[in-house]
Amino acid sequence: MQKINKNVVLALLSVTSLVFLLFQLYYYKFYLSQKNGAVFSKVRGSQSGQDSTRWHVVRKFLGLIASHNIPVYLIDPLILGLVDKDIEQIRSSPDGPTPECKYFCTPRDFTTFALLDKTWKHEVGLFRTAEKMGFQWLKIINKDPRLDGMDDLSGVEIPLHYIFKLASHAIHLVVFYERSGNYLWHGPLRLKQHMDRKFVPFRKLHFGRYPGAYEKPELLLVSIDDLKVQIPKNPSNFLEEMSHSRFLECRYREARAFFQLYPDDASLDAVEFRKKAKSLLHLAALTLNNLGVKFWLSSGTCLGWYRQCNVIPYSKDVDLGVFIRDYKADIIPAFQKAGLPLKHKFGKVEDSLELSFQGEGDIKLDIFFFYEEDDHIWNGGTQAKSGKKFKYLFPKFTLCWTEFVELKVHVPCETLQYVEANYGPDWKVPVKMWDWKSSPSNVQYNGVWPVDEWDDVIQIY
Amino acid sequence: MDEWKPNPAVKPHKKRSWYLAWKYKLMNQRTLRKLCQTGAVLFLLVTVIVNIKLILDTRRAAYEEEEESAQDYDDELLNVEVPRHPVSNKKVLDVEVYSSRSKVYVAVDGTTVLEDEAREQGRGIHVIVLNQATGHVMAKRVFDTYSPHEDEAMVLFLNMVARGRILIFTIKDEGSFHLKDTAKNVLKSLGSQVAPFLSWRDMWTFVGKKGGELYGEKHAKSPALSTWGDPVLLKTEVHLTSVEDAECRWPDTELNRRRKRFCSKVEGYGSVCSCKDPTPIEFNPDPLKDNKVFDVPVAVIAGNRPNYLYRMLRSLLSAQGVNPQMITVFIDGYYEEPMDVVELFGLSGIQHTPISIKNARVSQHYKASLTATFNLFPDAKFAVVLEEDLDISVDFFSFLSQSIHLLEEDESLYCISAWNDQGYEHTAEDPSLLYRVETMPGLGWVLRKSLYKDELEPKWPTPEKLWDWDMWMRMPEQRKGRECIIPDISRSYHFGIVGLNMNGYFHEAYFKKHKFNTVPNVQLKNVESLRKDAYETEIHRLLGEAEVLDHSKNPCEDSFVPDTEGRVYVMFIRMEQEADFTTWTQLAKCLHIWDLDVRGNHKGLWRLFRKKNHFLVVGVPASPYSSKKPSSVTPIYMEPPAKEEGAVAVPAVAAAEQT
Repeated sequence: MQKINKNVVLALLSVTSLVFLLFQLYYYKFYLSQKNGAVFSKVRGSQSGQDSTRWHVVRKFLGLIASHNIPVYLIDPLILGLVDKDIEQIRSSPDGPTPECKYFCTPRDFTTFALLDKTWKHEVGLFRTAEKMGFQWLKIINKDPRLDGMDDLSGVEIPLHYIFKLASHAIHLVVFYERSGNYLWHGPLRLKQHMDRKFVPFRKLHFGRYPGAYEKPELLLVSIDDLKVQIPKNPSNFLEEMSHSRFLECRYREARAFFQLYPDDASLDAVEFRKKAKSLLHLAALTLNNLGVKFWLSSGTCLGWYRQCNVIPYSKDVDLGVFIRDYKADIIPAFQKAGLPLKHKFGKVEDSLELSFQGEGDIKLDIFFFYEEDDHIWNGGTQAKSGKKFKYLFPKFTLCWTEFVELKVHVPCETLQYVEANYGPDWKVPVKMWDWKSSPSNVQYNGVWPVDEWDDVIQIY
Repeated sequence: MDEWKPNPAVKPHKKRSWYLAWKYKLMNQRTLRKLCQTGAVLFLLVTVIVNIKLILDTRRAAYEEEEESAQDYDDELLNVEVPRHPVSNKKVLDVEVYSSRSKVYVAVDGTTVLEDEAREQGRGIHVIVLNQATGHVMAKRVFDTYSPHEDEAMVLFLNMVARGRILIFTIKDEGSFHLKDTAKNVLKSLGSQVAPFLSWRDMWTFVGKKGGELYGEKHAKSPALSTWGDPVLLKTEVHLTSVEDAECRWPDTELNRRRKRFCSKVEGYGSVCSCKDPTPIEFNPDPLKDNKVFDVPVAVIAGNRPNYLYRMLRSLLSAQGVNPQMITVFIDGYYEEPMDVVELFGLSGIQHTPISIKNARVSQHYKASLTATFNLFPDAKFAVVLEEDLDISVDFFSFLSQSIHLLEEDESLYCISAWNDQGYEHTAEDPSLLYRVETMPGLGWVLRKSLYKDELEPKWPTPEKLWDWDMWMRMPEQRKGRECIIPDISRSYHFGIVGLNMNGYFHEAYFKKHKFNTVPNVQLKNVESLRKDAYETEIHRLLGEAEVLDHSKNPCEDSFVPDTEGRVYVMFIRMEQEADFTTWTQLAKCLHIWDLDVRGNHKGLWRLFRKKNHFLVVGVPASPYSSKKPSSVTPIYMEPPAKEEGAVAVPAVAAAEQT
């Protein structure tokens, strides 16, 4: 009998462990797939069940916000991408019933909506109703950047993001704030210490890794998948805008520290110069934006923004950078039309182009054109009397939005490298005597223009 | 068994069961059996390994996920510690109260909540109100009952304190001289046995519960008129009640939740915290039709006068056409109580670290508040600027709505103000009438964003300049010849008695009798005639129809103006050049209107009312309207009084009306 038992026990154990092993393998595989795929689908329903869950959650959410009169609009890149393909059809039949759930049922973890802060009162009632409807919600608040520039004000923290979760789907509601410079801003999503890091897979959110800046969108009420929802009138424009919407806040704290060290010049001349520089910058931005030419703050103006969040009062000019691929022949006439005559033109489109316009009251507007190489970007300089050429090298950079003198403008995202390339490691120390031919730390001698080209590449008016 | 050999020839026993056959067969295949066993063991081993791997992997994955979800989204300020309030379940508070000639202090559970040993300050009865459930200080007051009327204020305050609160009293220096019987009786009703007999320079401490127990009382009699009683130190215990007992049972609404939070923190706001029928904190005044100022941000400039702020916000939120979402209260300093008031009304408040001192502090606070307002409402073209010590007229927004387009269109204007410096009870009459004046009155006014951003902000006085912001704004460099629009009857009322440049006497003389409009929906007349050129036509028309008064009479006498109603009169005073206000100042003095500096003038013309008649004063020859003077009339000249008087009065209070 003993031997029988031994064998039977062994056999039974083997069978059990086989079953166990299979179960574990299955679980293991399931877990991994969960990581890569739908985290929420703890219970794997049929595909169609999943799809309609998303649609139902969106519908419930729209009902919730409609009951509180909160105007939201859809900014989900995934859905807007799909919508954009059929935009003509959707526009033309705003009420037409759709045969199938084409948009809101697409597999995804989130649906993203936007909310304009000023269009609603921050009311507690919304969350109560949401809870009653079965939503779990998370609110992310942070400092109000509109007061950030002001050293000594402390306002109430403002809501930046809301996440409403129901069943296996979540709604990400991004709060947009209007800021000086006539643009919309949304904040970064940062979790405070006590917050549930697994509330939703935050990494997959489309908004919130960085703050963003947007134009005020025109909205369109459409009916998609039998749900009435507002979308940006031109989804493809919006998606394009979204792809480079990253916003950099000015470094107000560092700027304050700078002014502690080097008190600001409050003389009438400085006030007057700043005022003129500001209006020149506004005019230049208007002109270039109308032409669709992308530009950024460069040289001294960029340094002013980065170091002190203001125009450097002794800088005497306003400097902008433009990629040569964005060059348009219309630039010169457009500025002339705006009341800024061309002062000089150095170089040519193929090499070292630089334009200077005469602003009001002795302020010059310099536009430097930047040439991209494989591992660096450069712009050129020309000495008028000798025809000498100079080259200023910069590490590669991308463009971010920022706010400067009540204007939404671009600056290099990698501002520190940009400023350091231009002004060296001591950029924090104000230098009033600046020679553009020798002072910059990234200047290279670049030969001399051939004399027969001088008439073309050195034009002074 | 081992020797056993199968014999294929032998037929199997029938009795043998299939089982045994199988068993023997297995036994027979020994190697196979061994193999099976090893296999099973191996299998078990594999299972264990897979198991361990699974555990490790799951852990790693979970850890990674945590890392991932955290990384980019973690708040940078991880080291900010959340202040933790010790949760004390203590039911008893130790209270120590000290009273003496030069020092008072109160300590609750070892924490000093009041300490005053400053010389020449804090005389009288100090009162502290504690929450009976938490022991938190809800109000701190001092009533200088050595001086008259302060006891009335104390009675008023004590009556406002809710039943059940713990009250602590202590006297510093002297607190009985003007402590009348009414007040003594109130103290007696609170349980004090000594209060009715308090006398000159006695020291006294008392701890009791409103409407209930006496926790302790100590008293030291002054032995003689010239000496004080001995210092007394009262040590006693106070039993705390449960939170539920300390709170009112208001219906659970959003509004009442705000009310609850407020009422559990502070005391002295009267019926807003009464359990039965509390005063509303939401007002819902009628909306204005075609409200042009609905989207104009309102900045309320405040300091640490929470009771004032409370009164101010009540009147503001009751004004027709108010939009609470556009209101921001800017508090100069990290004071809690004003913020509590702001939150009670569901408004947003911003605190401001004080910069500089005195007038410059106010001025810096103004600058920060204005900048912040235009940052918070970037598409606003205007901002309404109010102060915490103003009552707001019911038609304040209606007044602005009807006139704001002028500020937008007329470049020669630089503000619209709700305040008429010369609009006293006896000199203002017509709620529908507006003026243009060269002096900015402030006290409830509208600022154009472009004026602020382009002109004022960049050169705003820096913190080291101890200037009044309003005086600075009135300077010719800022004003640049522009004017303000004001109503005849003010749409704001300055009730503040305590302030930087303010005291009771001053308030009584210059502000108390100011006229304040209480009529809703006043239709302003002839708003278009306030435009630059139209106004001149209007003035000429007015002067044309005005009757010239008898210049041989004394203009200070009542009989100077005939006993009529609704007529227009004009008088001419001497004014050698634009800045010669000698006669005007004397006239203003005897008419009991603002005479501390020149206000309310327009090109050497002042407009006011006397005995319900429109009364015009023209300065000759400086005013361009001098040509209207009949040649027979000699302008009146009034001598300034002896030099010292004038010299003392003016600089001391010249800037007096702000804060």
